[in-house]
Amino acid sequence: MVDNFALLLIHGLLALAGWRLMLRDDLDADPAPSPASTGEGESTRESRPRG
Amino acid sequence: MVDLFLTAFLLAFVALGIRRPFLWVLAYLYVDILAPQKISWMILSKVPVSMIVWMAAFGGWLLVDAKEHSRFTLRQVLLVLLLLWCGYTTLMADFPGDAVNKWSWVWKALLFAIFLPLTLRTRLRLEAAVLVMVLTVGAIIISGGMKTAMGGGGYGFLKLFVNDNSGLYEGSIISCVAIAVIPLIVWLMKHGTIFPPEWRVKTFAIALIFACCLMPVGTQARTGLLCIGLLGVLSLRTVKRRFLYLTLIGTLALVSVPFLPDSFRARMSTIENHQADESASTRIQVWQWTWDYVKDKPMGGGFFAYLGNKISYKTVKKDDSGGMTSIETQQITDQGRAYHSSYFEMLGEQGWPGFVLWALLQLSGLWQMERLRRRWLKRTGPGEQWQAPLATALQHAQLIYLLGSLFVGIAFQPFILMLIGLQCGLWSYLRRVEQPVGARLRAKPGPGLTPSGLKPLKPVDAAL
Repeated sequence: MVDNFALLLIHGLLALAGWRLMLRDDLDADPAPSPASTGEGESTRESRPRG
Repeated sequence: MVDLFLTAFLLAFVALGIRRPFLWVLAYLYVDILAPQKISWMILSKVPVSMIVWMAAFGGWLLVDAKEHSRFTLRQVLLVLLLLWCGYTTLMADFPGDAVNKWSWVWKALLFAIFLPLTLRTRLRLEAAVLVMVLTVGAIIISGGMKTAMGGGGYGFLKLFVNDNSGLYEGSIISCVAIAVIPLIVWLMKHGTIFPPEWRVKTFAIALIFACCLMPVGTQARTGLLCIGLLGVLSLRTVKRRFLYLTLIGTLALVSVPFLPDSFRARMSTIENHQADESASTRIQVWQWTWDYVKDKPMGGGFFAYLGNKISYKTVKKDDSGGMTSIETQQITDQGRAYHSSYFEMLGEQGWPGFVLWALLQLSGLWQMERLRRRWLKRTGPGEQWQAPLATALQHAQLIYLLGSLFVGIAFQPFILMLIGLQCGLWSYLRRVEQPVGARLRAKPGPGLTPSGLKPLKPVDAAL
């Protein structure tokens, strides 16, 4: 009974994790860093003509 | 029924891998940790599940996966050297037949530890590998923890899914591993993205940690108790309110003592009074024998070299009952006793070269994780919060394993080799993601570049 409960619970969670992973593109490639986090965004903003 | 359930689960998981072949790597982690083919009596037990999933994992990586970010690290080189050395000592083994038996699973575990980091190219892959390892070992721990809570424990009595006392289903090993994974559970609870932090995740994680702490009680393995002690000390490095933490831990320890079974307390008391305990006395004698053995054979005797030992020792038992103290001495002769220590296991079986390689592998892991921890600890940017805690969790898991290894022969335990694979993957990944910025800063200023390596800003006024 206890064994079955543990198996059912963990396999349910593993299956859910597998499903969620399958739907995520960042599993195979990290998302491109946002411009703000690289510092390049600041230079872009700075170089944008004002007014 | 269980058989059909496990078969259906594995088939479904493998099917998901058709879209994302990395899931086959996760499937191998699952199969190697839980060994569903041993739980099953019908379908899975008749199919070479481990080999099929390994071929899918390796084939998927080789044929489909991108490899431009896969790096071979120094520690993987150490693993390769260890693999080759183990192969050599198996050929020269004192007991060739037995040595080949152990070699048949050791080489696979080492090969997978070499391979795993090559696949851990993204943050999500690292997290997924940690999650699958924790959940899979969690199945054994939840079952063992619940049985312990219901009073079904006892040294050598706690029944897990598989009763062949091998791999993670051996009492001392699972109690050491159960404590070693606690830092990883905490990391997943705080930094997980597959199951993001929320009340259900936290409730499950806390319940799993509780079950982990019950494993040393259920298996009555003294090693586990020492590992809990070390975990308590190590946690002082990461907790914010140390005084509150110490008070809570102290209170919890005091409150839990009355609930511990008498047999557990009796067995734990032999940590102090080891002279009366046959198991502890044997270890010291075997370690002495191993030390003498490598003096004669510094290259080791190959797997199962301990079968050649014959030891004789005395146990001293003190009895204080009835107002009198009686001392009983017993002479015991034994042969073919196992090392009961990973350090002596490596020394006796693989000699000094193998021991040095293994020690380098462990020490370099501690050092690398410490470097990562320090490098990322003070960063506050978005997406920079999970690195230092993961490095710390992997380091603490390894330290707990190294303490447990003093008393259990788990030098080649596949779960621990997977942890080493994770460390290599994290080290390689973080060096890569840091590189573009570092390389840019180190780059010589070329035409049109500032000393920082960044393109100069256009004069704002000129653009107007």
